Amino acid sequence: MQLNHAQRELTLKIVYYGPGLSGKTTNLRAIHARARPEARGRLLSVETHEDRTLFFDLLPVFFTSSSGFKVKLKLFTVPGQVVHDATRRVVLQNADAVAFIADSRRSASAENNAYWRKLRANMREIGLDATQVPVVIQFNKRDLPDAQTDAELDEARKKGGEPVVGAVALRGEGVMETLHVLLQSAWRNLDERARLSRNISLTEKEFLTHIFQQMDLTGTSLESLYPTAAGRPR
Amino acid sequence: MSADKPGAVGSGPEHAGSVLQRKASLVDMLDPLSFGDVVDSLGELYRVGIRVLDERGRTLADAKGSNGDFCGFVNTTAQGRARCTALVARLNEGPLTPTQGAQVLPGTSPLGGELLGQPCFTGLRYVVLPVQWEGDVLGRVVFGPFAPEELADVPVALAELEGLELERARELLAHVGRQSEHRVVKMLAHVAQVLAALLASGQKAYLTGQLHLEAMLETQRDLEAQNAQLMRLNQRLKEADRIKSSFLGTVSHELRTPLSSIIGYSEMLAEGLVGALNAEQMQFVRTIIEKGNTLLKLISSILDMSQIEAGKVRLAFEWVDVQELVESSLTSVMPQAQRKGLTVKVHLPEVAQPRVVADREKLSQVVVNLLANAVKFTPGGGQVEVRLSAHGPQPGLVGEGYRIEVEDTGVGIPLDQRERIFQSFYQVDDSPTREYGGAGLGLAIVKSYVEGHGGQVSVTSEVGQGSCFRVVLPKEPPLSGHGPAYIPPPIDTDPERF
Repeated sequence: MQLNHAQRELTLKIVYYGPGLSGKTTNLRAIHARARPEARGRLLSVETHEDRTLFFDLLPVFFTSSSGFKVKLKLFTVPGQVVHDATRRVVLQNADAVAFIADSRRSASAENNAYWRKLRANMREIGLDATQVPVVIQFNKRDLPDAQTDAELDEARKKGGEPVVGAVALRGEGVMETLHVLLQSAWRNLDERARLSRNISLTEKEFLTHIFQQMDLTGTSLESLYPTAAGRPR
Repeated sequence: MSADKPGAVGSGPEHAGSVLQRKASLVDMLDPLSFGDVVDSLGELYRVGIRVLDERGRTLADAKGSNGDFCGFVNTTAQGRARCTALVARLNEGPLTPTQGAQVLPGTSPLGGELLGQPCFTGLRYVVLPVQWEGDVLGRVVFGPFAPEELADVPVALAELEGLELERARELLAHVGRQSEHRVVKMLAHVAQVLAALLASGQKAYLTGQLHLEAMLETQRDLEAQNAQLMRLNQRLKEADRIKSSFLGTVSHELRTPLSSIIGYSEMLAEGLVGALNAEQMQFVRTIIEKGNTLLKLISSILDMSQIEAGKVRLAFEWVDVQELVESSLTSVMPQAQRKGLTVKVHLPEVAQPRVVADREKLSQVVVNLLANAVKFTPGGGQVEVRLSAHGPQPGLVGEGYRIEVEDTGVGIPLDQRERIFQSFYQVDDSPTREYGGAGLGLAIVKSYVEGHGGQVSVTSEVGQGSCFRVVLPKEPPLSGHGPAYIPPPIDTDPERF
């Protein structure tokens, strides 16, 4: 988190972590597609010609609160390939919340575990306290034949405290729900530590509403929570 | 509500570590030279002045319009100059809000924010386009001044300037480019599109480059940490190795002294100096002498090796007849070979007296060690052959030299072990039930002595068929001219000086 009282700016950093080809960039693309152009910047992607993330992707999302505070979310992905460990650490620095994008297929379990350990190790190496930075797990590719069942997801849920969300990122399913849990956890955590709602007069509800009202939530479970505010500027 | 207060007290630049934490800035994202060229060409295309400034009011590009003569003329008056300066300052650094006569223009900017129209007291106009990126204002583009299409005559305000020649001003005003509102809107959209494209690619290149650098530094930190760890380990190993060599040296020396006494007294017994021995006693004493000598050789090898590893071996060069040296070396292995029933063949060159420069004792030990190995590893009925030959200049050697080859029909050496047999204490067969004795030092000593002479030792072998060791030596070792030479230790085991 970067909080600049003089310029009345708050910047949060959210990082999408996970094995190669688990769908991190796809998540960002889906968010980009659903966000209104006024509320987001360009999706910056540095890819190889094989469509693999080389360094990172970056999607900025922003709004100005009713108290005049400019809030910016920077959504990053890390490169999934093994060789980019140093880049992953650089991108992960100062993250306020981490989405771990796992591949739901049973055949990918070993890879998921390996990257989960990598995430833990990376966080340790750069001094991020795993108990202080919320992590949300997304089980992506729920539609594939070899995917784990919902019962198995429940099992995974019980194994740790992290929220678990199912998704088919290519179709945009579960992406907004993951982002919602992610931002909610990030906000609650920062609010507790930095008393954000008091310091910058921004409540969790206003924070989330500002962001998700700028998103097309059609077909998601969030639709009823954030009715479209078109023509109703705050 | 002002979300941005550039230049507010205490709002220094944010430099929180990574480039990903830093706020984007136009200077980082645009290449000043090529961007200047692009802005110049746009200014020429639309015949209007275009100035691009960053959020601190620094000019990044400035294309001149067709207003130069007219504005210059107005600026010749003190009042005109003062008003012009104030207006330009406000355009460059003033708030991006409709104040002091500025109006919000209809339409949206492709770069976000509101377009501001700013009239000049001369009747000309400016338009200000804020440059927003990711929700931040990074700077602005100021267009103008240009003459609006509907401008008919110089305004009253101009007529009020003291000392301005109005007719001349009118004349010059006619040369200022006229712009219709439609054309201005199109121009703004075009410039904004170009700028957006340049910013997007510039930001990508900038972030990528910076992040690459950060990742490299991160990797370097990793490697340095690993390196330091390895250095520490290496230091410890060197120290352990040094202690081992010194221990072996001391122990061997301490063992050799009493052993010499044992052998000496046994020999005196065998020679009957203290009375005759019966046949059985004599056999026992001979066994003591034989085993004592074996042990002495072993201890000597250990001592030699520890001297080599400590860098204490000195080569005393002299003229040596290598033919004679080979022959005398053979005599020390002949009894053993005969006992095993081996055929020993010798090929010495036709040329008489091949005299070379070498350390006689060390070179003799090289040949003896190779011969002893050949005898040891060749089963009964086999053959050991030693060949001496001269050779011309060779790569890796200085000048002409000679070659000593020892070939046997023994057990041979597996391919993957051929390099390692020259390491000290290495044995091809290191099982507890191994057939052949020895400490695994013979070849390590050979290698060290041969290399000390500026030569090379190599081996060819076929498992089950036999081995051939080839020693190639220069006629005159490169260091022999400077008197005795020390053989450098295989690894630098000098303790740290500081």
